[in-house]
Amino acid sequence: MKRRITEYLDLDTATLEWACNRCGQSLGPAAKNYKEGCLIADRDPREIWQPFIEASFNFAYNPGWARLVEFYCPGCGTMLEVEMLPPGHPITHDIELDLESLQRDAGEPGSGES
Amino acid sequence: MATNAHSSPEIPEHFRVTPIEISPSTMVQWLKPEPISPIEQRGMDSLTPGDYEIYDEKLKNILDESREIFVRSGVTNLLTAGDLIVAVYTANGDLANASAGTYLHCVTGCLPVKYVMSQYFPDPTVGVHEGDIFYTNEARYGGIHNPDQMAFMPVFHDGELIAWTAALAHQPETGAVEPGGMPILARSRNDEGMKLTPIKVGENYRIKRDLLDMMVNFIHRSPRMQEIDTRARVTGADRVRVRMQELARAQGNDFVRGLLRKLVVEAEASARQRIARWNDGIYRAVAFSDTIGREPALVRGYLTASKKGDTIRMDFTGTSPENDSSYNAYPHIAAAHAAIYIFAYPFHDLPASNGTLAPFDWEVPEGTVLNAAPDAAISNSPPLCCIVMTPATIAMAKMMFDSPDRDKVGAPNGNMGSEIVFAGTSQYGIAFADLDGCTLNTEGQGARPDMDGAHAYGFPWCHAGRAPDAEFYESEYPFLRLFYRLKEDSGGFGMWQGGHGTETALAPRHVPTMFWSAIGKSSNISVGVGLFGGYPSSASPGVWVTNTNLWDKMTRGDDDVPTDAVSVARDRTVDGEYLMEHLTRLTRVGQNGDIIVQLAAGGGGYGDVLERAPALVLSDLRQKKISEWTARNIYQVRYDPETLVLDHDATRAARDAARQERIKQGMPWDAFIAEWSTKKPDADALKYFGHWPDGASEQTLVRI
Ligand SMILES: [Zn+2]
Repeated sequence: MKRRITEYLDLDTATLEWACNRCGQSLGPAAKNYKEGCLIADRDPREIWQPFIEASFNFAYNPGWARLVEFYCPGCGTMLEVEMLPPGHPITHDIELDLESLQRDAGEPGSGES
Repeated sequence: MATNAHSSPEIPEHFRVTPIEISPSTMVQWLKPEPISPIEQRGMDSLTPGDYEIYDEKLKNILDESREIFVRSGVTNLLTAGDLIVAVYTANGDLANASAGTYLHCVTGCLPVKYVMSQYFPDPTVGVHEGDIFYTNEARYGGIHNPDQMAFMPVFHDGELIAWTAALAHQPETGAVEPGGMPILARSRNDEGMKLTPIKVGENYRIKRDLLDMMVNFIHRSPRMQEIDTRARVTGADRVRVRMQELARAQGNDFVRGLLRKLVVEAEASARQRIARWNDGIYRAVAFSDTIGREPALVRGYLTASKKGDTIRMDFTGTSPENDSSYNAYPHIAAAHAAIYIFAYPFHDLPASNGTLAPFDWEVPEGTVLNAAPDAAISNSPPLCCIVMTPATIAMAKMMFDSPDRDKVGAPNGNMGSEIVFAGTSQYGIAFADLDGCTLNTEGQGARPDMDGAHAYGFPWCHAGRAPDAEFYESEYPFLRLFYRLKEDSGGFGMWQGGHGTETALAPRHVPTMFWSAIGKSSNISVGVGLFGGYPSSASPGVWVTNTNLWDKMTRGDDDVPTDAVSVARDRTVDGEYLMEHLTRLTRVGQNGDIIVQLAAGGGGYGDVLERAPALVLSDLRQKKISEWTARNIYQVRYDPETLVLDHDATRAARDAARQERIKQGMPWDAFIAEWSTKKPDADALKYFGHWPDGASEQTLVRI
């Protein structure tokens, strides 16, 4: 059974694999962080927002404090997630599902509020 | 501190409060509802079919009416903007429902009531009697920061205590070391001004003049405002009291007790039922503030939300250590900031009751910035707690997406709490201290899975907050408002775009000087983020121009007087000294003719920018909500620059090329981590972060 966990992430409860919702590309085992199956880029905030002036404070974030870490689907290039992190800050393992309970529930009719 | 020793059997069960150790780090435990007492059970059983549904609605009307009365009785602008609640509690302090306003006080309001019931109710030197009026603004006893003042009253009928009522609102002056109630320079609680433990300020339904004079004396920068707003709070609480007594007269005390307890019980049951249908798992989210007020500094909020069955454990381990600024908090303050989101999104349709929060457990390690020492300065705990609001929104969005509650998912709202604080003597010779609610109440809403966020949607601490009348300020205070508008490109980019925040500029006039300071963040790094590939809002620097020729230019009718922040800073058509700073700025003397620019953040974007409908991009461009640079470089839309007509094929080709470029530039995990993990932020960022990169405390803090 395929579950749609986020806008861009599907999870197959039989194989316990992450996949891109747009192209079906596998993103690795659901027991691990799906980000490990992505292509990743470290981007300077000044590529997203124009600084407009040269000054230590301007209209873009400070690249010494903040980076955009972008996670792309290797199949279709969709940006599945982006984190704004200080340079070198550990990547967040944001979704760690209880796979046993997901498998247990798989195949049963969708829950609804009574 | 005292422990609760008053659970003795002679106190009837429905007045009892669960004993806890009373300290700032443990007050959060009182958020859990009290057990159902036999007399309340009797009351719940006595409700006939339809009673609950009808009187739940009636109670809402009572609360809404009282809120309107409250708003119309007050004078300061956060009160009149609606940053308040009016609430009703069970006799032992569980919040049954509230009209909000700000959901913050749905957490903090019940704690002082429980404190009074646990400590003063059985104490013959205080006691709780019909006609009593209590008052407090002390975080140690359950409040947030001391600008948030609360009046609360017991409701008696036929000689029995059957409920409590309360009215809370923010007062923009506290008698602290700096004007404005949120002193940026405070280093310990001793710098923060008036802090009232829960005290009885009235008896026999009358405020005691001596105690009112005492309060007014503390608030000497704006005594008139304190007196009027104190009376307004009491008026708000008292209106609920009157209506609850009318209800008891009509239906009986058992009915009122049963109705109030049932609201708590039903809210908890509904919240648990909803949580149970979300996927079990661990959801992590992180957010960074870039200020401790007196200086830019990186402060991390880290949330591990563990969802199992019908419970959620909110664990803030990994959050940066407390520091000697006023940007600290206590666990119930952190919970209150998660509650702002919880009551507005996942449980927007449930009563604003602490029953709704019962499924949540709060783990906030001592020594973190969210669980500081009792002597810490905490007056800027609300702006600090953006590092709670963002991760709570992200973690719960990821919990809910794969459930029937996807419609409640959204990216974080703009939440940097941007305001200019000003004080001095007005053009009328009257002392004033107030803040500009115009930026504060107009941050952008986060985008959702099927729509853009609302522009200038409100105040993230108080979703229903109304931006005050911009012109009102000009008539009341000595400045001209040069502009007040949506800030171009400020909504987080994405498939669905975050709502825009606003920008404004004040220019002191009529008087030679005016004291001012500013609070805000997201100059170096954004505390708000997007969701599922959406970007955060744009950066917000502070801009200040002094010694200007602004009035000369305006008198001449020059057509190049700037009308937005970027043109002020970039085009420099006004002569003067230009200063670009962090958005948080310390108190200083503004000169007549200065230009003080302040920005409000937009909401986070949702989804990949390359999936945004080109028609929406061009519509935003036509309305100057986004720049041509953004349309072209971020959204990769191609169009005729004269007519703004879409070139469909060229857009598709540009977007395909952008996706291919990502695949070419993106690195696999191992290679990326090998390079990334060697990097570190600028050294000046890490002074208050704690140990890099885990945020652990590295030193002992001594406050004087
Ligand atoms: Zn894909």
